[in-house]
Amino acid sequence: MWSRFTKMGLVGINRRNADFTLRMNERSRYPLVDNKLATKQMCIREGIPVPQLLAIAELHVEARRLPDRLRGYDSFVLKPARGAMGNGILVVRTDPDGGYLRGGRPFAREDLIYHTAGIISGLYALAGHRDAALVEERLETHLLLRSLSPDGVPDVRIIIYRGIPVMAMIRLPTAQSGGRANLHQGAIGAGIDITRGRTTHAVLRNRRVFRHPDTDESVLDVAIPEFGRVLEIAVRATDPTGLGYVGADVVVDAVRGPVLLELNARPGLAIQVANRAGLMPRLAAVDERFGPVDGPWPGTLPVEERVAIGQDIAKEAMA
Amino acid sequence: MSRPVFFSGLLLLAFGLGLFATKAFYYELPLTPSVAPGPWQVELRIHIRGDGRRGSVRALLPSSGPGQTIFDERSSSGRLSFSIRDQDEHRLGVWTGFLEDIQEIVYQFRVQSQRAETVIPPAGEVEALRTTLVRRYTRPTPGLPASAPDVAELLDQLDLPGPGDTSGRLRTIFSFVAHEVERVSSAGDDALLTLAQREGSAEGKERLLITLLRAAGLPARVVRGLELREGVAPEARLWGEVNVHGVWVQVSAVQGFLGERPADLVELGRGEQARVEATGVRAVGHRYVAIREPLRPDEIASMLAPDNPILAKLSLYRLPVGSQAALRVLLLLPLGALLVAVFRNLIGIPTYGTFMTVLIALALRQFPLALGLFLVGLVIGVAVVARAGLERLRLLMVPRLSILLCLVVLVVTGFALAGEDYKLPDLFAGSVFPIVILTMLVERIYITSSEEGLREALIQGAWSVGVAAMVHPLLRSENATYLMFSFPELVVAIMGALIWVGGYTGYRVSELFRFRTLLDDEPTGGGRV
Repeated sequence: MWSRFTKMGLVGINRRNADFTLRMNERSRYPLVDNKLATKQMCIREGIPVPQLLAIAELHVEARRLPDRLRGYDSFVLKPARGAMGNGILVVRTDPDGGYLRGGRPFAREDLIYHTAGIISGLYALAGHRDAALVEERLETHLLLRSLSPDGVPDVRIIIYRGIPVMAMIRLPTAQSGGRANLHQGAIGAGIDITRGRTTHAVLRNRRVFRHPDTDESVLDVAIPEFGRVLEIAVRATDPTGLGYVGADVVVDAVRGPVLLELNARPGLAIQVANRAGLMPRLAAVDERFGPVDGPWPGTLPVEERVAIGQDIAKEAMA
Repeated sequence: MSRPVFFSGLLLLAFGLGLFATKAFYYELPLTPSVAPGPWQVELRIHIRGDGRRGSVRALLPSSGPGQTIFDERSSSGRLSFSIRDQDEHRLGVWTGFLEDIQEIVYQFRVQSQRAETVIPPAGEVEALRTTLVRRYTRPTPGLPASAPDVAELLDQLDLPGPGDTSGRLRTIFSFVAHEVERVSSAGDDALLTLAQREGSAEGKERLLITLLRAAGLPARVVRGLELREGVAPEARLWGEVNVHGVWVQVSAVQGFLGERPADLVELGRGEQARVEATGVRAVGHRYVAIREPLRPDEIASMLAPDNPILAKLSLYRLPVGSQAALRVLLLLPLGALLVAVFRNLIGIPTYGTFMTVLIALALRQFPLALGLFLVGLVIGVAVVARAGLERLRLLMVPRLSILLCLVVLVVTGFALAGEDYKLPDLFAGSVFPIVILTMLVERIYITSSEEGLREALIQGAWSVGVAAMVHPLLRSENATYLMFSFPELVVAIMGALIWVGGYTGYRVSELFRFRTLLDDEPTGGGRV
């Protein structure tokens, strides 16, 4: 088992930590990606599309005023600025009488305030520090993906190593995952062939699947809309962070097209299971092309060129 | 593993294990504890505040006798002069000199104690007792009011056997005090008060026993000593000694023995002499500290001073008893940390916090595992139930966690009360450390269940407690404690091992499960339906 994993080039947590996150990601750069507000501001400066910010609550007083400030929006997403793994994220719709609905069920105004207060107290933040609650526009699932995720918005995770996109998967929420795009909560992870922008394999709770359990639609060989643009904004968003090993999450919105959701400096390893391929050969190929890590970074090349290099590397690895 | 990692780990391992091997094999220091219940090392610390005048401090010193062997006696007292006076009932240590400001006297000894059994001789075999002895030890004293009318009245009621049947009289009185008189720790030490209320403190009961024996014409006297128990500070105890046909037989109505003194009692001296007293001082205080050493006296000597001046300097056995006791626990922590690193980085078990599991195990060190797990389970259960209730009130987080803290304190208080009734080990034993850890655990569970759901919180909680349960026996192990304390260089070796663990970039055991789905029908390439 061990040697087959090694042959496939699977990266384990120990290796990811020692050889990639620890070596490639300077600790002082983490706040930029750990804080979604900072990421958002950076993206806006760089002209990268992000979900629109509707409100920020950093103080408990602001939590109480939040429902008033959100009047008029028919849906929104409440999230902690420093949350991890999708914890503490709340998707809320407004019904015609001004009441709230969460997952189709009524949701009291007080519950919204309480949840916001929990976020501000640092309940969902890494290390429990004080945090800010962000309210963003709710993104809409792209028409072409709608039959694949009736319960929530899917996102595309791209691993970017030294500025080169090397692997991608799409995460499809299910009823079991409560509409969230988190694999450990029961979302489907479908590997994407980045040369073609189509899904190749899929896993649900670590088991292979072929169809979506809720809709019975095939989850394989699905084309990701505007995939070239998805890769492009993932790469462009990573550049200013100075981080060498990043997971970028991009949502293809029905109206706005690809939008950067967040960056992650410690991206998980499940993407390998979804792609049925190890990351190691692709990471090694990047190092081979651009020399040792301490040498010059490919970050100066034009984005399109780097996307093409990533696709080349993926093609070689899949061959 | 890279070469620098391999070699720096190897260097530390070689140094630690090399020193260990030298000590163990060249200097032949014992590798394992050799005697199961080893001797105790007891330390008496006396603090005095003098006012510049000449004064003296006296303390009862133990002597070897039936059931106890005293060795390695030492005293350090600065400029005070130290002498020992052997008196007929006890040995007295006397420190004299100018007592200035605050001074500390330290007196240490080691004692090997066993159960001391005295057979009560049958009547007739021995000559009658000397009248001086009888007169001296049946006399009423302020602490033993044998001539009080209440005492005489009670002896009448007890319907004692005739004066010829000494052991019958002894047993009747013993069984009355042992069974008819309640022990209440808040009650007084006075014999008559204890008799009147049928309840008294431990000392009150023993004094009543001795008083009644004296009144019944049996020579009896007070014995002072210490109760030494693992994990608890030594407690001053008082019991009695009665002369039956010329043989002194030790007796206690509280501990419930007649002739067989248990091994955990060490005798300091007989008679009313206080354990510590001083003249010419403003204030005096004292405390006893004790630790058990699993070695024979000659092995202790070799540990204390190996045949090498440097090793002798580095021997932890030279330290004061209090520091030794703390270091014995402290030196176990690296071992626990190594285990945690193995569990997390090589096996890949999800647990709360980095060292939470070691701390849980440490907090439960004084309990047997089952009891400790029960306590942790109880606290976790309360946290989970309380969370469900508190969530509805929509309180802010810090007060919410504080309420949880209050609940933990209540649970622990209840546990202490129950412990008193069911003879469980003392929950605190002089520290609130377990409470702190349990509270931290509850906070983690609460936050994790809010963040990642109850299921995830309970899974992580179960793993944490499971790992703690695996670390726990290690922290309680006499062998491990002994080894780490006697060979602290092993900590360096552990650092070497940790460097190796830290440099390991292979798969974790848990990942073999995580990735196993990649093994079936592989490789298919397209995988179309």
